[in-house]
Amino acid sequence: MLDAIAAEALKMRRHRGTWLMVWIFPLAIFLIAVASLIYYQFAPANPPGEPQSASAWIADRTLFWRAPGSAPGRILIAGFVALLFAGEYSWNTWKLIIPARKRWQLVVAKWAVAVGFVFAAFVVTDLISLATVWLRSLQGSEIPDGVTLSGILAAHARAAAYALLPIAYATAFAGLFAVLTRSILATVIISIGLVIVEGMLGILGVFFHARAPDLTRFLIETLPPYHVLNLIEWANKKTGLVAPLGPDASVSLSWATSLAALLAWIGIAMAITLLRFSRQDLN
Amino acid sequence: MGWGRLQNDRKETVALELRDLSKTYGSGARAKRAVSDVTLSVRCGEVYGFLGPNGAGKSTTIRMALGLIRPTSGEVRLFGSPVTDHDALARVGSLVDGGTFYPFLSGRDNLRVLARTRGIDGRRIEDVLERVDLARDAKRKFKGYSTGMKQRLGVAAALLDDPDLVILDEPANGLDAAGIQDMRRLIRALADEGKAVFLCSHLLHEVQQVCDRLAIVSKGRLIREAGTAELLGTSVRLTIDAHPIDTARQILAARRPIAAPSGQVSVEGSREDAPAIVRDLVSSGVDVFKIAAEEQNLEKVFLEMTSDPDA
Repeated sequence: MLDAIAAEALKMRRHRGTWLMVWIFPLAIFLIAVASLIYYQFAPANPPGEPQSASAWIADRTLFWRAPGSAPGRILIAGFVALLFAGEYSWNTWKLIIPARKRWQLVVAKWAVAVGFVFAAFVVTDLISLATVWLRSLQGSEIPDGVTLSGILAAHARAAAYALLPIAYATAFAGLFAVLTRSILATVIISIGLVIVEGMLGILGVFFHARAPDLTRFLIETLPPYHVLNLIEWANKKTGLVAPLGPDASVSLSWATSLAALLAWIGIAMAITLLRFSRQDLN
Repeated sequence: MGWGRLQNDRKETVALELRDLSKTYGSGARAKRAVSDVTLSVRCGEVYGFLGPNGAGKSTTIRMALGLIRPTSGEVRLFGSPVTDHDALARVGSLVDGGTFYPFLSGRDNLRVLARTRGIDGRRIEDVLERVDLARDAKRKFKGYSTGMKQRLGVAAALLDDPDLVILDEPANGLDAAGIQDMRRLIRALADEGKAVFLCSHLLHEVQQVCDRLAIVSKGRLIREAGTAELLGTSVRLTIDAHPIDTARQILAARRPIAAPSGQVSVEGSREDAPAIVRDLVSSGVDVFKIAAEEQNLEKVFLEMTSDPDA
């Protein structure tokens, strides 16, 4: 199994698409960091602003970990997964590797590389941002009292752990779309459509709740979008997301419920992908 | 146990066996049968030619043999195990569609990816690149390769894991004359090493020179399977000039009529069949003006077997 993952990694690590959709995160933050360090080196000193609390300051430093759950982040992840899965149909290369390895192992290797590459990119992004904070402190930037290394590490570890779920969610569904459509473009378009629909779910929820309250509540509590946002909220604010449905109605669930629901959706998407791919004719 | 005995045992091993293999695409009124009840077996140490016109079902058969397509009915067995057994599939090397590789990787990196996927070490990569004369161009990206180079890389990939069964779909496509000669030598050498080679090619002259046995498919059906020498030696075409020709065709319907010039009927058969044919025709009131036997080469055999006698 590790061989199959290594083969996928070898294949994709230098692909142009990987640079554009995965390595772009650390690259962009590195360039921004260098520019900000140069700017602050030569900019006149600003008067000190309102001091931040240690917890707020630490939470702000974990901002990048929200990117995998954001719309642009999910679209980039979906694009990379589309390349990883549907690329094999475009290049006609499934027939090269399928006789070499069991089909389910090839799919699992692709999931592992997708999640692994994106997660690694965000870890590097986070390290660059932390290094920038440290360099800024050498330039005279204030770090609030009460900020400790252990506090920073704990917050980043928690944010990273929570970010794994949106990454796995985007990967599982983009992989499913790729196997069903066999097309990079179709996978990206469907993924973008899904992100747009999910983004509108708050408005749609309020609109439909007035007409079919029970069904609307059921759908919001069952479908993945609320749970993704709820978990991100739990990670960042340690309180859940309250999604208003009307004047006297809202959805508010525990992080454990959202975790279970999201894991179930990811599991369903993966199971359908494996089942479909295992029975697919590859001409 | 001596070396000769070992070699003989190996030659008795059936590497690839297709049993009543069929594939139908679609369902209901739109169903299209691509392969119908194909049964054949390929032994270690032999080169087995698989011939047929475009659309005959060759590629579909090869894909089923590699587990890329699920048969509608029938069975593929590799070294006695079903094709779903990956240990058996791991003993197969294949070249399909003229070598399909990752266009953004070099030839060598493509083989590295394949070696990793197979879970084998990459030490054989340089050997197989040398064997197909591609070592000098191995650094170049695949998308910049000529058709012949792509083909060579495909063969290198097929040989990467030192397989016991090599399935080659049109391996000489895009090769120049010297390349075709090299390919012929390579295929023969593989069989001499005890490997089974399943060769699909439209270059009939090449197939005739290199194959031990041949199967001819048409419209998804296997219409003839024989040793190359047997097929060429016994398959004499008998062309009969008779009147009325329609009655003659009806009488000879059981003798595999093949395409013939207008006003004549041709059948597959040996010189010894001629008297019996004349007797049958004359006793049914058909006048026979001429019967001529013609020696065959593979191209003639192939064209006659795969052409529509009514066309």
